[in-house]
Amino acid sequence: MKPKRKVEKAIRGKLRFIAGPTFRDRLLTNVMNAREESNEMRPALHEPGIRRTFMRSPVAKLTSIAAVIAVAALSIVFWGRLSTPAYAIEQTVEALQNVRFLHIIGRDEAGEINDERWIEIGEDGFQVRYRQQNPPSVIEEHPGAPSMVIEDGESTAVYRQEKKAVIIYDRSEKQYQWVGELGKAFGNLLQEGKILEENSEYQGRPAHKVWWPYMSAECYVDPETKLPMAIGNRGLSYEEPPAGTWEITIPDGFAVVDKRPGAASTTAPDWLIAEENTGETKGESFRQGVEALIRSDYAEAAKQLEQALGCDSWATFWLGSAYYELGQYDLAAKYFTEMLNTMLKAFGGDVLPYCNYALGLAQARAGNLEAATANFEACLPAMIQTLRIPSGGKMFEYADNPKIRCGKHKPSNQEMVVKMINRLRIITGRNFGYDPNGAAEDNEAAIAAWEQWFQTDGQIRFTPDAELLSVPVSSDEEPANANN
Amino acid sequence: MLEDELLKWKFKRGSRDALARIYEKYLDSMLTLAAGLLNDASAAQDVVHDVFVSFAKSAPAFRLGGSLSGYLATSVVNRVRDRQRRRCRQAACITKRIEPDREPASPDDAVIFTEQAARLSQVMAELPDEQREVVLLRLTADMKFRDIAKLQQVSINTVQGRYRYGLDHLRSMLNGEVEE
Repeated sequence: MKPKRKVEKAIRGKLRFIAGPTFRDRLLTNVMNAREESNEMRPALHEPGIRRTFMRSPVAKLTSIAAVIAVAALSIVFWGRLSTPAYAIEQTVEALQNVRFLHIIGRDEAGEINDERWIEIGEDGFQVRYRQQNPPSVIEEHPGAPSMVIEDGESTAVYRQEKKAVIIYDRSEKQYQWVGELGKAFGNLLQEGKILEENSEYQGRPAHKVWWPYMSAECYVDPETKLPMAIGNRGLSYEEPPAGTWEITIPDGFAVVDKRPGAASTTAPDWLIAEENTGETKGESFRQGVEALIRSDYAEAAKQLEQALGCDSWATFWLGSAYYELGQYDLAAKYFTEMLNTMLKAFGGDVLPYCNYALGLAQARAGNLEAATANFEACLPAMIQTLRIPSGGKMFEYADNPKIRCGKHKPSNQEMVVKMINRLRIITGRNFGYDPNGAAEDNEAAIAAWEQWFQTDGQIRFTPDAELLSVPVSSDEEPANANN
Repeated sequence: MLEDELLKWKFKRGSRDALARIYEKYLDSMLTLAAGLLNDASAAQDVVHDVFVSFAKSAPAFRLGGSLSGYLATSVVNRVRDRQRRRCRQAACITKRIEPDREPASPDDAVIFTEQAARLSQVMAELPDEQREVVLLRLTADMKFRDIAKLQQVSINTVQGRYRYGLDHLRSMLNGEVEE
């Protein structure tokens, strides 16, 4: 061990001061007293006072006692019905704390599994081990996609069925994930999650419906265990995986390409070298395409993103955006459709709101109002929901503004609401007012009017020249109107 | 990490249990940090007392995006700095070597530590303040260099440099004492 490491280890392990029992208890008492004092500063809730009545007549007393008994009996009956404890998101986060394994299953319309993953979660909330299996249909759809991935905690094995090969990487070099940092996702549920509907149902089972911003999806919580049973279109369970799930094994007839440091040197096959080179070239084109899009150089963005197709699903979407800005609406619609179909196939469901919206706009501009209306109707519920739950508009913003991808912009809640109102005005021609600088109660009335309209009318009317609100200025850019 | 998120959330909503758990979870590490910074176990008790009492009072207005441990550690550092400034003023900056309190009046009331801890604390006291802070925040409170940089109002490179120099100094002062 290096000398510095020894010093670090010594300080971590041996420099330890522990509070003695008396000090510990005394301080705890003081801490709790301080908490009580600070609570006393807050207005207390008052129990309603019970007024005592004194009755002089025995008959009145008996009548009264009978009435009290009857009321008490009725109360017990109603209490039994009404006292189901309310659900709180905190309960789900608490339950998730004890989860060690996640089993995620996605199914296609025929009910066949089209996505299966196992994740082992460490105490710190990070993914420890991972396994993902892709069915042949996904590989057909995405040439070069692995048939299986296994991370055993140290190495990542990528299985390529069609090449009869397993490529093994050091885990620090290559990692696969489901939704990024799980600990962060759970924390986000606690901080920003919203209960959409208590005692709802999911596929015929009782469930609480919750909006989970990090996942950009609705989540269905089992009322018994408080654990999510589904997020978006993915079913979740928490059982321990079968033995061997994390074990990297080499199927018969498969070649091994070991790319871990210190591995016996093997020559990578030509197809892998070619794929890696292509991947690098496409990655660079994607980066340049996104930069061109940010600086509104749409011709250059289209050129670069055409070359980047296949390296990132957003290359397809933003290629559509570049063509939209160039006024080539049919081409824009083509790429938005491609993105929509790919994502729905990969993740299930019927609607991808931000994509339906972009596709609808391109179709409307191209004069295909019927198809556009269908797409606008599909994304309308999510758009209305964003007015109350701004994080519901995150993916719309991400799609509209590649700066977010580059970490150069983080839309505020108000920005997301204002932009969503602008989008709503464009696709409906309605204007219920709203002033980003106005009084909260006036804006509340505007949002309520949108909700009321959605419930009672909800008619789409493409209005490209709708009056738009100024988008609140954020630190990284000039004021602009939200429009596609 | 997730437990801390939940504790923060419950604490803000006035949960006694959450406060008690935070206290149990971080008391000793904050005590170690304070003792390391001050090289004085009894003064460390006072600092940690004030930090937790003040933390308990902050519940209604509590807002924290970062880590709980980082927040408490920052509070400890700030209180230690205040204390040192006050002492400097009171004693006209007479530097005094403070020995760890090895024989407390009552064992129950004491801060318990080993000879090795006392030795490390003594050696730590020889470091310049900035280096000592970085080393202790990093190793006893698991703070990120980025957060330490924010606390010390210097660049992350400076903090990493202080950490490196701090460890070098400690290694030469300990002269093999911590080989195993």
